[in-house]
Amino acid sequence: MDFESQCTATIASVVREYADMVYRLAFAQVRSKSDADDIFQEVFLRYVRNNPAFVSEEHRKAWLIRVTINCAKKYWSSAWQRNTVPLDDNYRFLMPEENELDEVLRKLAPKYRSVIHLYYYEGYSISEIGKILSIKESTVRTQLTRARTQLSNMLKGEI
Amino acid sequence: MFEKTYKSMNDQITPTPSLVADTVKLIQSHHRPKGCKSRPFYRRLFMIAAMLALCIVLATPVLAARIPAIYELMYLVSPEVAQLFMPVQEACEDNGIRMEVVSAYLHDNTAEIYITLQDLTGDRVDETTDLFDSYSIHRAFDSSATCQRVGYDSESKTATFLILITEWGDHDISGSKLTFSVREFISHKTSLEDVPVDINLARVEESSATQTIYAVGKSGINLSKYTSATNDFVVLNPGMSICAPISGLDVTAIGYIDGMLHIQLATSEKRTLDNHGYFYLVDKDGNQTQYDYSVSFIEGMDSNDRMDYQEFVFDIPKDEIGDYTLYGSFYTSGLHTEGRWQVTFPLMVSEDN
Repeated sequence: MDFESQCTATIASVVREYADMVYRLAFAQVRSKSDADDIFQEVFLRYVRNNPAFVSEEHRKAWLIRVTINCAKKYWSSAWQRNTVPLDDNYRFLMPEENELDEVLRKLAPKYRSVIHLYYYEGYSISEIGKILSIKESTVRTQLTRARTQLSNMLKGEI
Repeated sequence: MFEKTYKSMNDQITPTPSLVADTVKLIQSHHRPKGCKSRPFYRRLFMIAAMLALCIVLATPVLAARIPAIYELMYLVSPEVAQLFMPVQEACEDNGIRMEVVSAYLHDNTAEIYITLQDLTGDRVDETTDLFDSYSIHRAFDSSATCQRVGYDSESKTATFLILITEWGDHDISGSKLTFSVREFISHKTSLEDVPVDINLARVEESSATQTIYAVGKSGINLSKYTSATNDFVVLNPGMSICAPISGLDVTAIGYIDGMLHIQLATSEKRTLDNHGYFYLVDKDGNQTQYDYSVSFIEGMDSNDRMDYQEFVFDIPKDEIGDYTLYGSFYTSGLHTEGRWQVTFPLMVSEDN
């Protein structure tokens, strides 16, 4: 295998390795399959274009998280232009409570969705989220608290 | 309840195989990785980095005198390149460490910025200094950024870093302000690579002391073959240290689960010192076998007793494992330094550019 083919194969393996993580984070923010699809491709195209160097796999993962969130922000900045959402653009989850939570998450302020996902799904601590998103720990804590409050109110119970 | 529902809901969200395949195809057909295609660009970068390293080695340890010296030497080596860099010389100091933005060079939609870190009081900055993931680059435009160490001068205890920032759209970054900040760094890193691990694999038994964990990370060449859509994995219960291949990393369990060899590596300092490692097997003919997959999990995440575990899993039958020797590579850091270093400076295009 020549040098160029090796590079492409390595990038393909990175796509497969982080596909679920990137897609879930994208969907967590935009809550639409078609938009998550667009963000997914954009993230990996940026990965190829920028070809960043990483000191560890955690570093690579953090970079992909940052870029996914940045791409989702771009989506929000142009979302006002969209006035229709395809009917089959949503997931139908297995359990009723999961579909109910999905509805609630659609109403949650977009800026809180990423911290909720990184904390509750990716398992990052508050300080780690601060580092990944380049924001203060206190800001993460505040966003998490406000997100929990909004969710508690909508779910009518403690979370 | 929320956490469980949220996790189970997200476990059902996956990109379609066609989306993944299309993305890979898109990469292969339309985009060549920069690192493969742009050799001349990296040759130029290497030249610049090598030149700067030369400058630092030759320059006087007195900082005020060093900066002009860098430019003088740059002009001696290559006046064309030296003219492209704009001197910045913005600095800050905290905890006895001085951070300085030495110079910046703007071209196309990319900014190259050289930053130095110097220990004014001790030897916390060394040739292994790593900004880890602690640095932040705040800019008013949408971009990606990387930072790497390109040189070290032992006499002045100064490490030099190159930051590359690439703007993503058509925004003109000239005149933009940029803030570079660092909260912590690690140094005095040590590594043990490709060393035998003092464990007799022939004595490894089937283990019943297992638990199901939620993986915060997973990897491996055969990951997809052994894992389901969820992030739940059966792993060994962590125990006392069986052996420590390097100070800071301990093997805390080893055993067979469902016909597969599991080896667990633990560290209490992953967050602050980035301690990590991996294992592989070597047979009697010297052939290497990599782990099929690994999973990472954490105990006591937000407590002072937090432990990070990574479990490496090999698909080698138990009756054959005696033919193998366990090897590994391990990386730890000796020092974690915290502070608040932040410099804001404008990105200016050189008039000569």
